[in-house]
Amino acid sequence: MDKLLTGLKVIAGVVGVVFWAASQFWGILLVLLALGIHMVQNFSRMDREDAVKKLKDLGMSAFYPAVGILAAIVLGGLIMALTGYDPINAYKAMFYGGLVKNWHISLLNATPLIFTGLSIAVAFKAGLFNIGAEGQYYVGSMIATWLAIRFSLPLGLYILAIFILAGLAAAAYNIIPTWLKIRTGAHEVVTTMMFAHIATKYSTIFVRNNGGDPAVSKHAYVTDAIQEANELLPLKTIIPGANYRVHMGVLLALVTAIVIWYLLYKTKIGFEIRAVGANKTAARTQGINSGRAIMTAMLIAGFLCGISGTTQVLGLEHKMYENLNAGYGWNGISVALLAGNDPIGVIFAALLWGILDAGGQYMARTTQTPSAVVEIIKGIILFLILAKYLYFWFGHKLFKGRKKAAAGEAA
Amino acid sequence: MTESDAIVLETRNISKRFPRVLANNNINITLRKGEIISLLGENGAGKSTLMNVLYGLYRPTTGTILLNGEEVEFSSPRDAINRGMGMVHQHFMLVDPLTVTENIILGMEPGRRGVIDYKAARKEVKDLSDRYRLEIDPDSLVEDLPVGLQQRVEILKALYRKARILILDEPTAVLTPGEVEDLFKVIHRLRDSGVSVIIITHKLEEVRAISDRVYILRRGEIAGERRTSDCTKTDLANLMVGRDVVLTVSKDKHEAADKASFEIKNLNVINDRHVRVINDLSLSVRPGEIVGIAGVDGNGQTELAEAIMGQMVQESGEILFKGNPVQNLSTRARRDLGISYVPTDRQKAGLVLPFTIAENVILGSQDEAPFSKGLALQRKPIAEYSRKLVKDYDVRCASIDEEVSNLSGGNQQKVILAREFSREPDFLLVSQPTRGLDVGAIEYIHSQILKMREKNSAILLISLELEEIFSLADRILVLFEGKIVKEFDPSETNDKEVGLYMTGGN
Repeated sequence: MDKLLTGLKVIAGVVGVVFWAASQFWGILLVLLALGIHMVQNFSRMDREDAVKKLKDLGMSAFYPAVGILAAIVLGGLIMALTGYDPINAYKAMFYGGLVKNWHISLLNATPLIFTGLSIAVAFKAGLFNIGAEGQYYVGSMIATWLAIRFSLPLGLYILAIFILAGLAAAAYNIIPTWLKIRTGAHEVVTTMMFAHIATKYSTIFVRNNGGDPAVSKHAYVTDAIQEANELLPLKTIIPGANYRVHMGVLLALVTAIVIWYLLYKTKIGFEIRAVGANKTAARTQGINSGRAIMTAMLIAGFLCGISGTTQVLGLEHKMYENLNAGYGWNGISVALLAGNDPIGVIFAALLWGILDAGGQYMARTTQTPSAVVEIIKGIILFLILAKYLYFWFGHKLFKGRKKAAAGEAA
Repeated sequence: MTESDAIVLETRNISKRFPRVLANNNINITLRKGEIISLLGENGAGKSTLMNVLYGLYRPTTGTILLNGEEVEFSSPRDAINRGMGMVHQHFMLVDPLTVTENIILGMEPGRRGVIDYKAARKEVKDLSDRYRLEIDPDSLVEDLPVGLQQRVEILKALYRKARILILDEPTAVLTPGEVEDLFKVIHRLRDSGVSVIIITHKLEEVRAISDRVYILRRGEIAGERRTSDCTKTDLANLMVGRDVVLTVSKDKHEAADKASFEIKNLNVINDRHVRVINDLSLSVRPGEIVGIAGVDGNGQTELAEAIMGQMVQESGEILFKGNPVQNLSTRARRDLGISYVPTDRQKAGLVLPFTIAENVILGSQDEAPFSKGLALQRKPIAEYSRKLVKDYDVRCASIDEEVSNLSGGNQQKVILAREFSREPDFLLVSQPTRGLDVGAIEYIHSQILKMREKNSAILLISLELEEIFSLADRILVLFEGKIVKEFDPSETNDKEVGLYMTGGN
């Protein structure tokens, strides 16, 4: 019975997600069904008290993001109203654009962010701040572009090879900063950041050397297109109704998030990474090789950024642009923070960011509200979530006030 | 002091409720002018809560505080200080790189228009120090002072703020036996000049040595009040724990093997500040024997432990385990050979606090069967093993999936003991196993260590508590400045003699 339910859950989840991604909105019903089954399964194993506690924990972990997002939307509305825009109309346009009209763009925005968000999250779990994700993203993009322009093999085997090679190259890009961290304690924020600058700046040279030379090419600042055989299949090859731009990379991102969750919480590698991240001294005292755990985490982090860039090149852009700086690496930091470094949370945080971006563009086009409003909202969301001590302080004040009143009555 | 002396501080039915616990329930205490009282209780009995209420850090849920007969309400420590309360915390609140004078005047600097009058300040500090014979040089840097003097700087700080009531939180926790005696002298001088003193402690010996009266707290309530002159140590212990306790675990005779299984030969360790912290140290431990290392904190205990576990680079020397050199092996390899370690700082080095009990129990064995197969951790064997250990070692918890950060200190230590002892090590390094724990937990942990001796583990016990060394060790080695300066048979010596060697005298 339990196995049957698990099977049903997985099928409903997968089918639901795929169809949802293809703008078939009833897919979300299947996803909800899968979540429902999952909850029932989990809670039937626990006794009442534990179940209540677990629900409470879940509620609490959803509480801060929910409050942050709501408050940010209200504040964003206020700002719009004060600067002479109509917040109601603007928000209507934003949500319609992000969730319905341009849902596919939201998904496409979210895809690379899921990978980079996961990258930051894994590094965080090991106690490191991989602030140079942007650089690893560029390394992955460049290697993928270079390989995909030049060679191809049938049966998609080569695509797999590109993913692996670009991921490994980006992982290798983290070796020196991480080695310095382990050996000398050089702070990874500084070193990976510098490495990020090297990679992003070098990418302009790379673009020129691969077909984007303004002196000779008519497509200046863009590399040659990759070979068609190396493009990721669009989602509409399996779901006819899907938007033609949405590609398999979306599904890959979701699967990757689940893999990373499994790796962190269900394997000994993840256990060691988390132990070192949470308390390096205790982990070392127990004989865990902290350097190895940190290196593993940073290699995984680099790999994730590398395949983020690869997905973007093979799936969406099919070439590499010099000045299209989408900042997926930097934004991955916000996504990971928003998700509290939880791999599954990263999916939702990346989606939120994707929706806000896509919706913001739609809003700007249709209501002439500047899309900068979206950036303001994002900033407020992050601030409110990171400043959760504020809530404690506020709650404490509220609590104290109430208690004082009660004491007064008693007296 | 007589009964007729004025009552300076009185609490009436103080209760303090936190969201989940009633930390103080109807506490009534009185303190007279020039009196020393102790508040005795186990960890979690509510001593600190009560002190924080008196010092203005917490507001009582109900009840009132009377100062010199007048009802007061403190909304912050500043209020309390202004009314003549002073507090010396267990962890000193001093700024190390500043001088004594600077530290003392911090927050109430004398002077005008933002210019500090250092000369006046220095003079006042000097006068105060002379009056109470604290022997503090107002110009020395706090970081250069030994712990005992740093504590006096804290006392001086309170006196400078005109404290008439002084609260000392676990004042002897960090002191050597000699420093404790000096502290007691200082406290007596304070009393003679009319200052009233409240000492918070869980050490029975101290209560009897210093205070006139004692209040015993248990589970947030006053379990009793005694004159120290007419009660025994056992009375106090029983009141504190609420049942009859064994103060010193009974130690059966146990024959140790003839041949040592663990040896250190001419060990030298230099720390990263290029100071030689372990100096030509040699020792040996036989199976079934507990060797106690006595010493004042900071004489190489940490470094010795880290060198044994392979976490500190050693300069020279040999560590032999069952006859084989292990000094070049990794921590992991040493553990695999059968060396276990209970570190001093259970929260920093012993446990990963955000991890669950189950995760902490397998920490270090996460990649061994049956806890993992291939890459994947095996949920069931881990859960079964953790449940067994939790039961065997009497860890009080809601479930094995509870984060260890939620456990009390004693239960956290039990988790560590469970992990280390259940590996059935042939050599066991135990460092300050009962630091900060209450009588009940100490009793349990000592009996577990003795059980390991019966199982013929070779045990090296590092402790700052002489009492602990005397009640457990079969041999005592005194560590001073990174060297073993003396070996004792515990039955042929006493704490005075050992204490002398601990401080470098002989």
